[in-house]
Amino acid sequence: MSDGPLIVQSDKTLLLEVDHPSSKECRAAIAPFAELERSPEHVHTYRVTPLALWNARAAGHDAEQVVDALVRYSRYPVPHALLVDIADTMDRYGRLTLANHPVHGLTLTSTDRAVLEEVVRSKRVAPMLGARIDADSVVVHPSERGRLKQALLKIGWPAEDLAGYVDGQAHPIELDQSDWHLRDYQQQAVDGFWAGGSGVVVLPCGAGKTLVGAAAMAEAKATTLILVTNTVSGRQWKRELIARTTLTEEEIGEYSGERKEIRPVTIATYQVITTRRKGEYRHLDLFDAQDWGLIVYDEVHLLPAPIFRLTADLQSRRRLGLTATLVREDGREDDVFSLIGPKRYDAPWRDIEAQGHIAPAECVEVRVSLDDEERMTYAVAEPEERYRIAATAQSKLPVIRRVLERHPNEPSLVIGAYLDQLEELGAALDAPVIQGSTTNKERERLFQAFRTGEIRTLVVSKVANFSIDLPEAAVAVQVSGTFGSRQEEAQRLGRVLRPKADGRQAHFYTVVSRDTLDSEYAAHRQRFLAEQGYAYTIVDAADLAGPGEVNGPDWVDEPAD
Amino acid sequence: MPPDQPATLAAWLRTRTDEQLGALLVARPDVARPAPSDVVGLATRLAVPVSVDRALDELDAATLQVLDAVLLSPTDGVPRTGLPALLPDVPTEVVDAAVGTLTTRALLWGDDDLHAPEPVRRAVRYPAGLGRRATDLRVPLPRDLPGTLADLAPDERTVLDRLAGDRPVGHLPDTTAGSLSPARRLLQAGLLARIDAVNVELPREIGLALRGDRPLGPPRLRPEPEVSERDPAIADRQAAGAALEVLSRVNDVLTALEEEPAGLLRSGGLGVRDQKRLAKELRIGEADLAFLVEVAHAAGLLDVGGAQRDEWLPTRGYDAWREQDLADRWALLAAGWLTSVRLISLVGQRDVAGKAVNVLSPDVVRQTAPTLRRSALGVLAEFPPGQGLTAPELLALLRWRTPRRADRLTPVPDLLAEAERLGVLVGGVLSSGGRGLLTGGEDDAADAMRGLLPAPVDHVLAQPDLSLIAPGPLVADLAGTLAVVADVESSGGATVYRVSDGSIRRALDAGWSAGELQDFFTRASRTPVPQALEFLIDDVARQHGRLRVGAIECYVRSDDHGLVSQVLSDRRTAGAELRRLAPGVLVSGLGADEVLTVLRTAGYAPAGESSGGAVLTRPKAPPRAAGRRPGAAAAAIAPRPLAPDDVAATVREIRAGDTALAARRTEPVRQVPGVTTASTLELLSRAVREGVPVWLGYVDAQGSGSQRIVQPVSLAGGFLQGFDEGRGESRTFAVHRITSVALADAEDAAAPS
Repeated sequence: MSDGPLIVQSDKTLLLEVDHPSSKECRAAIAPFAELERSPEHVHTYRVTPLALWNARAAGHDAEQVVDALVRYSRYPVPHALLVDIADTMDRYGRLTLANHPVHGLTLTSTDRAVLEEVVRSKRVAPMLGARIDADSVVVHPSERGRLKQALLKIGWPAEDLAGYVDGQAHPIELDQSDWHLRDYQQQAVDGFWAGGSGVVVLPCGAGKTLVGAAAMAEAKATTLILVTNTVSGRQWKRELIARTTLTEEEIGEYSGERKEIRPVTIATYQVITTRRKGEYRHLDLFDAQDWGLIVYDEVHLLPAPIFRLTADLQSRRRLGLTATLVREDGREDDVFSLIGPKRYDAPWRDIEAQGHIAPAECVEVRVSLDDEERMTYAVAEPEERYRIAATAQSKLPVIRRVLERHPNEPSLVIGAYLDQLEELGAALDAPVIQGSTTNKERERLFQAFRTGEIRTLVVSKVANFSIDLPEAAVAVQVSGTFGSRQEEAQRLGRVLRPKADGRQAHFYTVVSRDTLDSEYAAHRQRFLAEQGYAYTIVDAADLAGPGEVNGPDWVDEPAD
Repeated sequence: MPPDQPATLAAWLRTRTDEQLGALLVARPDVARPAPSDVVGLATRLAVPVSVDRALDELDAATLQVLDAVLLSPTDGVPRTGLPALLPDVPTEVVDAAVGTLTTRALLWGDDDLHAPEPVRRAVRYPAGLGRRATDLRVPLPRDLPGTLADLAPDERTVLDRLAGDRPVGHLPDTTAGSLSPARRLLQAGLLARIDAVNVELPREIGLALRGDRPLGPPRLRPEPEVSERDPAIADRQAAGAALEVLSRVNDVLTALEEEPAGLLRSGGLGVRDQKRLAKELRIGEADLAFLVEVAHAAGLLDVGGAQRDEWLPTRGYDAWREQDLADRWALLAAGWLTSVRLISLVGQRDVAGKAVNVLSPDVVRQTAPTLRRSALGVLAEFPPGQGLTAPELLALLRWRTPRRADRLTPVPDLLAEAERLGVLVGGVLSSGGRGLLTGGEDDAADAMRGLLPAPVDHVLAQPDLSLIAPGPLVADLAGTLAVVADVESSGGATVYRVSDGSIRRALDAGWSAGELQDFFTRASRTPVPQALEFLIDDVARQHGRLRVGAIECYVRSDDHGLVSQVLSDRRTAGAELRRLAPGVLVSGLGADEVLTVLRTAGYAPAGESSGGAVLTRPKAPPRAAGRRPGAAAAAIAPRPLAPDDVAATVREIRAGDTALAARRTEPVRQVPGVTTASTLELLSRAVREGVPVWLGYVDAQGSGSQRIVQPVSLAGGFLQGFDEGRGESRTFAVHRITSVALADAEDAAAPS
């Protein structure tokens, strides 16, 4: 019996023991065909899905390699049936190919007539196919390329797409690496993406996804459309691109509610694209405004449904999706994979932390006991009110204050979901509040003041969940959230993960009302981070010691300069 | 026939040596029990149609072809030396071996000339795939047969050629309006005989004419299958993988059934709803679940139980099984499967009425299943380790070995697939465990599998995301506890458990305290227990038991708290066993009517109350208990094999009986009605064969005796058909009513004695 680091489960999950001497080697061997699902402290879980197997095939791995990796690293004998199943699944890939025919244009060709017959007869697929050319091939309308691939995937006969990508209008873009360098994992992510053509790169917040986008643009050297969640994050992209590439301010356009500029590199918000007037999308022309060579989707986990539909028509253009967490609360991860492309790069957060590229973080859950009056209010409240009552309890305020006192000199964020509560906190902590109605100008001013250290504490609503870049936020206090959203939790942690200049630790606090829905939701949200290897410490509010006290932080943060 | 040759089967048997008779008994054990009294008795037993069928069923195609050659020859008695000439394509040693097999089993008899006993002739319905003679089918053959055949239309010729192949009987296609189908034209031309409404038969003469110089068809030699090869070490590892998988799955199924037993259907078996529930719970397919449940049942780990004997529950055997090491556990499952009389592949298939067969239903019991499994795997065991056959190759070989049982081979591919899932077989090659199981039974199977299965682990790895990972099969004790305190998320080589507030609550309900749970996790986990888990236990424990539920029979309530206190302290109401639950509420374990009586006797004026609070004048009628159902039947017991001592003793008995019989042999054969001896049958069949009239003593259905001279036509199924010359009619005589029989000479026929 070998003593490998891997245990193969019947449901095709793979358990990798991290502390095993050959775990690194094994991880490299299984990464091409298994998706990392959870990476807690001791044992990481990977899942072998048909999609992952087909992606492995597309990337040039064959069934023999997959089976060999499983058998070689497995601690226990692997059931023969499972290996056969894997080989069978992989064998389904490539029976159908999408290719450009010199005469007929885009065609679907098969090496296996039975498969083609099955596909042609499928209700789901048939409407997307054109005339039959011969027994082995059939015409496909170019605009159906994405939808066809999606449908074929669903019926289990994935097509190998050999039709390639249009180059788009060339535009010179180079990385300007005079005072910085692309990190190894960023380079690997870009290489993985470029080799695969299209796809999604998953990196934790603060790990420099923008730079992966910039590097991909430098690789494409073509006009690029960047889709972002909001204007502030769009401007952030613009700043980064100007600083890190040869692009100048004039080459970058902003396409938002405020401005409609179309330039070689255009940054548009999801919101403006999905704006409808009289039931019609007004800004779809944007996709045809230029012969884009690359489309970048920032925070792809938030991609709204209409853009999914549009993306289906853009299959001949290279697409790059960026995200920290491909956990979609609507469960449409598969659509992201089939329309933007498969996951091209993924790394456990803790690995990147170990390399020093994201700040180490300490996660603390502070349990607050409600006073009797609050408990009674909570007990008699309507079910739909309960969470709000528990999350916005007054008893949290002194605790939040105490938490902030532990880190007197650290730039801190207080993050919440309920505006009343935020206003109250703002007043009590004497800190400005940023929320949905705050103008972009005001936001930028406050962010700037926060960056320079003028303002130490900001109270933010969920508008700041995504893509605001606050390099020096070192403490985040989460007081309320959108129910049990795991994805929100990850994004909020991301606010403090950007590496600190002096390598300081980041602190992430969640203030939770004990024995209420609030703590139940908190437990659900924490699962994602726990699966990423972030262990929460749970502290009772009464035990929350100040600096220098017993159980308190060992040192007081030096004043930031 | 030379005079020194025995004239009948019984006479020939008498000339056999003790060893030969012993071999006969071993080859046809059904005739040896109970031991025949003498050689004639033995011959009778050998003539029983069921016994003949069973003996023929065990013959391979080559042997049957030799038998066909004897059966087809125009005269009874084929010289041994003449056989190879009849089978020019078959090597002589094959013919000799076949003759040996046939004579050993007394399916052919005679030393120089080979004779086929009448029952054998009847049992082989279509020798060499040829139909009956034209005269028997009452079809007049055309005068110029070759000419007629040459003139046939191509489609007609195709039909005839097909019928001249393996099976002379065909199905008439439905009539199409207008033109006649080729088969119907052939029928009209008298080249086919109609045997019933839809079937036709090709007369033997036409079949022979079509076959030309190969009247027995192509030689049926042993097929040379393509051998699959596999590195035995790799095959063993893969088998171990399958074994691990099946072990952990069976364990999962039984754990799930322990938690929530499945109901027993009235028709036996396990309901579809329970099957679906379990499949969903374990995240496996319903067919997979059916297999696992059946395997567990076959191994005696799952059976009907419960207070009412109406539930499928893990057995006591399961508790013992869990304590064993993995190899022993596997061996028990594999052996249970091998010897089970249930054909698992039938589960889920639709019966005649279109209803799917339930899991564990009694409908899938097939007594032949263990033999079938053993014979299929037995073929593979003949190959050296690392070699085997794919399912189609194996099937072809089995078809050749027992062609008369080919229809019973249908489940073989499914059986092989099951063997693969169990790890008995890997890609058509027997694993060491499987080989051990076949040759040495359960213990050898366990020994062969032992080094291949991992040793159980006694710890888990607790992780901050509240998952617990057991990095291998767990010791029974720990697995049992974990089943209570955590939910299984995925199983296989390892088991992933998840602790949730629900699972902790379940543990608290089961009597664990928070402290015990903390201790358990500290002890069981090799990694430090995450703080989140400690908090979870404390949180749930704090909430646990804040609501209390108890059972009472009735309550006494009043808005007047003073009155309630008075009732409680009243000595006269002590018989009502009242207890205060809250101010104004008393409860009692006695029924409402009793409490009412006690209170009334004590001088209070209580009124009954309905569940809705309305005042009742009478309490409800007392409930009645539900009835019980009788238990299930015991399992069938397989016959005991014949021991060599038994054989020798039986042969000795036959010899002794025979000597005694020889002393009092007389003609004609007389007998007690209802006891048919082989000599009666022998005489009758000789008369049929030679067309000689017989003199019969006969008792009719009314019990009146008579003597008649009968020209016998056929002897089949216990009935003699013949022409009664005295009465001038054809009729059927029940052999068991014949009291005496003698061959009648021609002159006797006119004047019966």
